[in-house]
Amino acid sequence: MNDVLEALINVGVLASAIRIATPLLLAALGEMVTERAGILNLGIEGTITVSAFGSFVVADKADSLWLGVVSGVGAGILLSLLMAVLVSSIKVEQVVAGLALNLFGIGMAFYLFRAVYPQTGSEMPRSDTFDHAEIPLLSDIPAVGEVVFSQHWLTYAAIGCCPLLWWTLNRTQFGLELRSVGNNPAACDMRGINVTGMQYLALMFGGLMAGLAGAFLSVFLSGLFFVDVAAGRGWIALAIVIFGNWRIGRILAGSLFFGYLDAYQLSLQARGVDVPHQLLLALPFALTIAALVVNRRRSHEPLHLGVPYFRGER
Amino acid sequence: MNTDAPTTPGASSGSLLRRSGWRLEKRLAVKPWHEVVTLVGAFIIGLAICSILIAASDKSVVDSYRALFDGAFGSRRAVYETLVQATPLIFTGLAAAFAFRARVWNIGGEGQFFAGAMGAFFVSNLWHAHLPRGVMVPVLFIAAAAAGALWASIAGLLKARYDTNEIITTVMLNFIVLLILSYLLGDMWRSPDTFYFQTVTLPESAHLPLIVDGTRLHWGFGIAVAMAVVVHVLLRRTALGYEVRGVGINRTAGSYKGISVPRVTVLVMAISGALAGLAGAAEFSGVHHRLQLDISNNFGFVGIIIALIGRLHPAGVVVSAIAFGALVNGAVTMQIQTGIPAALVDVIQGLSLIFVLTGAVAVRYRLQRTHTDE
Repeated sequence: MNDVLEALINVGVLASAIRIATPLLLAALGEMVTERAGILNLGIEGTITVSAFGSFVVADKADSLWLGVVSGVGAGILLSLLMAVLVSSIKVEQVVAGLALNLFGIGMAFYLFRAVYPQTGSEMPRSDTFDHAEIPLLSDIPAVGEVVFSQHWLTYAAIGCCPLLWWTLNRTQFGLELRSVGNNPAACDMRGINVTGMQYLALMFGGLMAGLAGAFLSVFLSGLFFVDVAAGRGWIALAIVIFGNWRIGRILAGSLFFGYLDAYQLSLQARGVDVPHQLLLALPFALTIAALVVNRRRSHEPLHLGVPYFRGER
Repeated sequence: MNTDAPTTPGASSGSLLRRSGWRLEKRLAVKPWHEVVTLVGAFIIGLAICSILIAASDKSVVDSYRALFDGAFGSRRAVYETLVQATPLIFTGLAAAFAFRARVWNIGGEGQFFAGAMGAFFVSNLWHAHLPRGVMVPVLFIAAAAAGALWASIAGLLKARYDTNEIITTVMLNFIVLLILSYLLGDMWRSPDTFYFQTVTLPESAHLPLIVDGTRLHWGFGIAVAMAVVVHVLLRRTALGYEVRGVGINRTAGSYKGISVPRVTVLVMAISGALAGLAGAAEFSGVHHRLQLDISNNFGFVGIIIALIGRLHPAGVVVSAIAFGALVNGAVTMQIQTGIPAALVDVIQGLSLIFVLTGAVAVRYRLQRTHTDE
């Protein structure tokens, strides 16, 4: 029992909660922007996998972590460009395009992985990983320093991205136009806003962020690539966007909360405490459904989400 | 989609096209042969792109595809195994096709598959000592259908009552059911004689009989094909089918016609979930004979793709499920004989779908010479 309570506020658990939350936050922010432009991208899971592979293979073969991150992000943007062509230009059903992207992306990543690293024995290829970026002075603060100020640089970047993104979306002309595209594309079109172009940009931003999430999983956390590297994080990011009601502050809180639940159950498992940890893991998904129901009257869901826009049609 | 002005996909390409003396024009009617050409074309392009991947890894394209084909259809045994692989996909494909006909986006086939398998295990565990084989197997399937229907109904009811997005709820329910199963497999359902997350083996009396002795081909395949007929009749010959198609074409008009859209939504979800649940029972009692977390090879998600490639038509679903089953089955042989990773099949499937989707839109248009004085 003591273990169960102690793990709740354990420094290691809190630090790993923030670490686990990072890819979720990155992918969720990207998906939120994409959805704000009216596109429901179900292909994040595949995008994360492809990017994790891209980062891993380049980091390993070119021996440069930074190049790894760049190519992971590039792969993510490429895949979401494909999504953009499908849903924004050709106007294929978005749900299906997203699922196709998952299948294609995960298959491709795994195929290339096996092509580059033929299966030999049980040893998995491993790349270098980034060191934690300990912030001078601040990381010396007891407890707080370890939890907050000894994370990866990408974690700081992800959190720093929140206010920036908020400002762009809510205080600039560009942000207003982007949000309008998701709410009323016909009106935007009439005002001379390039709806298709906006959706391309939003999807590419989503791909960039999912790409960073993928890079985080391979070249920051583990230095490994395997077919299930995304482990449902793309879908959890989707849940976080809804749980956070498309608002940045709540998405940040949601990511941290979901990350915390995961870190908590991991530490309980590691301590050998016999609790049904699966139920803790199921909580985010159940809460997301609950949030959908509870928030339905004050939902910030873009009005035109998932509906392809055809000029000249009502 | 009915407008006077021909809308072009990708407004920007319009001007470029026009300058070259061509324009895109919307077809008045899409003929069946257009669709067949699209499907075959998509598959061929998918294979062609993948042959570049094969060639890039210094393997012979011809040998690889020959191994793929031999593995899928090369012998009587290979054909049976292809049908074994196709069986769950027919069920989940029908599940998706039926829901999509009503434009209810059931993405939860994967979860409903497991709900079905769990329902089947539950009753087999409860009653296996008391029921003879002739009764046990039908009971398993009924339980699976009920469990799948029940699990899908959660999303259906939420949609009908609160207008929640069923795409999201079904995706979330997929995760929830898998985690519940994982919990049960680690706890009260775990077989006492193993360390793994799996249940006890199903007693012989609850095994689905084989169609051909000495192979793995079980009667689940027969049930799957029968279900395709049932779904076809349901859609074409019943009042519910009329309502389903009506809601799918136009929700608002449907409700003016006196169709209760919420009622149809819940029913469609339940029937779709039942079909996916049957897939779970077929795999559980026909192939694996025990419940584990890995009894599904993404069947729920692949079913969605199969439904679309099969044009949401039951016969199309059966054909494309067999084609996908062949790919999965042939890939094993290909990997053994040539060392090409079996994951290539996922790439072929994903690419084919992308081109099918593109083709389905493209086929609605045709290139027309513009009569200008240029």
